Amino acid sequence: MEELIAVSTGLIAGTITGIVPGAGVTVAMVLAAPMLMSFDVIQLLLFYMSLASMVQFTGTIPAVYLGVPGETNSLPAVIEGTKFNKRKMAKLAIGMCAIGSVTGSVVAVAITFGLVSVLTDHMTLFFSNVTKFYLYLFIILFCLLAYNKKNVFVNLLLCVLGFVLSVPGESDISPDFRYTFGIEDLQFGVPLMPVLIGFLVVPTIAKMTSASGNSVFLPSIDIGFVKVINHFRKRFIKSSLRGSVIGYLCGFVPGVSTVLSTNVSYTLEKKLNPNSPGKQLVSSETANNAGQFASMLPLLLIGIPITGSEIVLYSMLVDAGWSPFQFDNVTNNLDMIFKQIVPWFVVANVVGLVIAWPLAKHILELFADSKKFLIAILVVGVLLLNTYLGVLDYRVWLYTACLLVFSGVGLLLKKYETVPLIFMYILGNDIEAVFYRQMLI
Amino acid sequence: MKKTICVMIMSLFATITSAQTITVINNGKSGGSFNARTLMYKDGLEAAGFQVKYENIGKISQAVKVFKETKEPTIMVYANNQVYKQDLFHTSKNFIMLEYQQPLYVCTANHAKDKSGTLTVAHGKGYDPKLLKTVLGDDIVLVPYKNSGAMLKGMLGGDVDVMVNNQGMSFKYTKSGQGTCEASDVLPIMAATVIGKNVNVKTIRGYIVNISNNDAFTEYHTSRKLYRPSGTWTSEYRLVRELEKGYEIKK
Repeated sequence: MEELIAVSTGLIAGTITGIVPGAGVTVAMVLAAPMLMSFDVIQLLLFYMSLASMVQFTGTIPAVYLGVPGETNSLPAVIEGTKFNKRKMAKLAIGMCAIGSVTGSVVAVAITFGLVSVLTDHMTLFFSNVTKFYLYLFIILFCLLAYNKKNVFVNLLLCVLGFVLSVPGESDISPDFRYTFGIEDLQFGVPLMPVLIGFLVVPTIAKMTSASGNSVFLPSIDIGFVKVINHFRKRFIKSSLRGSVIGYLCGFVPGVSTVLSTNVSYTLEKKLNPNSPGKQLVSSETANNAGQFASMLPLLLIGIPITGSEIVLYSMLVDAGWSPFQFDNVTNNLDMIFKQIVPWFVVANVVGLVIAWPLAKHILELFADSKKFLIAILVVGVLLLNTYLGVLDYRVWLYTACLLVFSGVGLLLKKYETVPLIFMYILGNDIEAVFYRQMLI
Repeated sequence: MKKTICVMIMSLFATITSAQTITVINNGKSGGSFNARTLMYKDGLEAAGFQVKYENIGKISQAVKVFKETKEPTIMVYANNQVYKQDLFHTSKNFIMLEYQQPLYVCTANHAKDKSGTLTVAHGKGYDPKLLKTVLGDDIVLVPYKNSGAMLKGMLGGDVDVMVNNQGMSFKYTKSGQGTCEASDVLPIMAATVIGKNVNVKTIRGYIVNISNNDAFTEYHTSRKLYRPSGTWTSEYRLVRELEKGYEIKK
C-alpha cells in the first residue's frame, strides 16, 4: 500500500510537471518535500522513479501540441513534433513517442539485467576512494563545461558559490563545527530548502511569468491505438531500439544524462534518416526513457547522484536514513532494483502510455487555461513550504533569512542554469572529503 | 480537614497526569541504531501507560539543542562518544540508564598483515589521533571518514590497510573474508545510554530498565552481540562518567 501511494503521487506529480512548461523534476521534488519527508527510502525511490518516468512521457505533450518543451530534453520533440502537429497528426506523434518510451524503458531494464553479473563481480571497485575521486572530477568538469552555453567562468563562479554554501557547519572529515560565525543554527549547515527554492524554484517561476507560449490548439486527426502500434512496428522499431541503446549508454554521463541521450540519438537518427521526422522523434523519445533508467543506476547501486534532480533525491534519501551501504552488498541493491523498483517502473510506464496518449490534449487544455493561477499557487506554496520546513527544523528564522537572500540572488541569476551551484552545495562536503583522503592515501 | 484532603487528591491527580506524559526525542536516522532504540522505548513507554509525545528530529546535534532547551519531561537515547562534541555530559540529574557497551575494534586487511612501512588507517572523525598513534605506532597515516559505514566501504574498496571501527561494522568486515578484527582494550569503550530532563531519573529508570529487558530489546542486543551490564544506577553512572573521558580529544 505504501509503495502504491508513492508511485501514484509520483505519477500525478510527473503528469503535472511534464505538462507545465519550465517546471522540471527537481522543482517537483522540492515542492513535494513536505510529503516526501514522511516517506521511507524505498518510497522515495519509487516516487522519484514514477515522477521522472512520467515527465518523460508527458513532457512530449506540450512539445508536440504547443511547441514548448516541457523538459530540457524535449527539444527534439519540439522540432520534429510540431511538424506532425502542422499536418494534424499530433495524436499519432504522441502515440508513437509513448510506445517508443515504453520500448526504451523495457530495453534499459533488459540491458541492466544482462549486466548484473559483471556489476556484481566488480562492485568493490566502486567503493574505493579513487573511483569516487575520478567520478567527482568528471562531475566537476561537466559542471564547468556543460552548462550556460559552456561559459566556464560563469560555471566556475556558480560552483564556487555552491561550495561556499556547503562549508558552514559540520564537516565530513573533522569533528568541529566550522564557519558558523557565532550563529548556533549554522552548526547544522545552510538549510537545503531555501537554497533549492531560491536558486531553482524562484528563477523557474520568474521564467514562467515572462514566457509567452502558444496556447492555440490545432485540430488533430483521430487515430486508433492498434493502428499506431502497427505503424510503429512496421516503420520505427529499428530506430527505437537504436535510440534505446544509445540513450542507455548516454544516461550514465554525469550532469547531462537524458539531455545527452535525447540529443545524441536524435543527431544520429537525423544523419541516418534525414527525411523521416517520425524516426528522429521516436529515436530521441525512446532514448529519453532508456537514459532515465540508466541515470538512476549509479545512485541506486553506489550512492552517487549524477543529475540535478538526483542530487535533491540523494539529500532526501540521506535524511531518510539511507546510506548506500545500508543495503550491505551489491546483491541486496540489485534485489532492491529488480524486485521493488523495476515492477513499479513497468507500472509507471503503462500508466504513462495511457495518460500521454489518449488524455494528452484534455490535460494540456486544462493547464494552458490556468497559467496565472498556477504561478500564484506556486508562489504561496513555496513561502508556506519554507516556513513549515523551518519550523520543523527548529530554524525558522534562518530559513526565512536564507530564502530572502537566495531568492534575490536567484532572480539575478535567472538567465543562468544554476545546476552547478546546486551540485556543489549538496556534494561539496563529500567532494572535499574524497579529495582530502585522496591526498592522504 | 476537607480542604487538606481535596488538596492531597488534586496533587495526586496532577502528579499522575504529569507522570504519564513524556516526550521522546528521536536523534537518529531511520535504519540506524539510535532510531531503532528510540522507537522501542517509545513503544515500551506507551505500553506502560505513558502518553508519549514523539519528536522525530533525526539529527543528533539538533536533538541535543532541543533536549537542552526543553521544559517538558523528556527522554533521549544517547552515547558517551557524543558528549564532548555536543557539550552535553552525563550528570546525576540527566543519567537514567546504561543500556549496553561495546569496544572499538582494530581491523587489518589480509594484504596488509605482513606489510612493512607506513600503514594507512581509517578512523571516524571523532577519534583522538594521538590515542590511535599510541595503539598503532607512529608510522601510520590517519585517513578520516564520515562514519562507520563509510569506513567499511573504504576498507572493502582497498583505500586503507587498517580501520578502527565499531563492533557492528567490524563483524561485517570479518564476514567479508577480506581481513580480521580484534577488540581493542586500549581504545575507548562506547556506552549507549538513556538520558532525561525534567524527570525524576530514578523513577523513570524503573520503566526504562523494564523496557530494555523486553523481548524486542533482548532480541536486538542478542543479535548484535551487545554486552548488557547489570548494576545499580550509581554503579552505571560511575562507569559511564569514566568511559566518557575516553572520548576527550586532547589538543
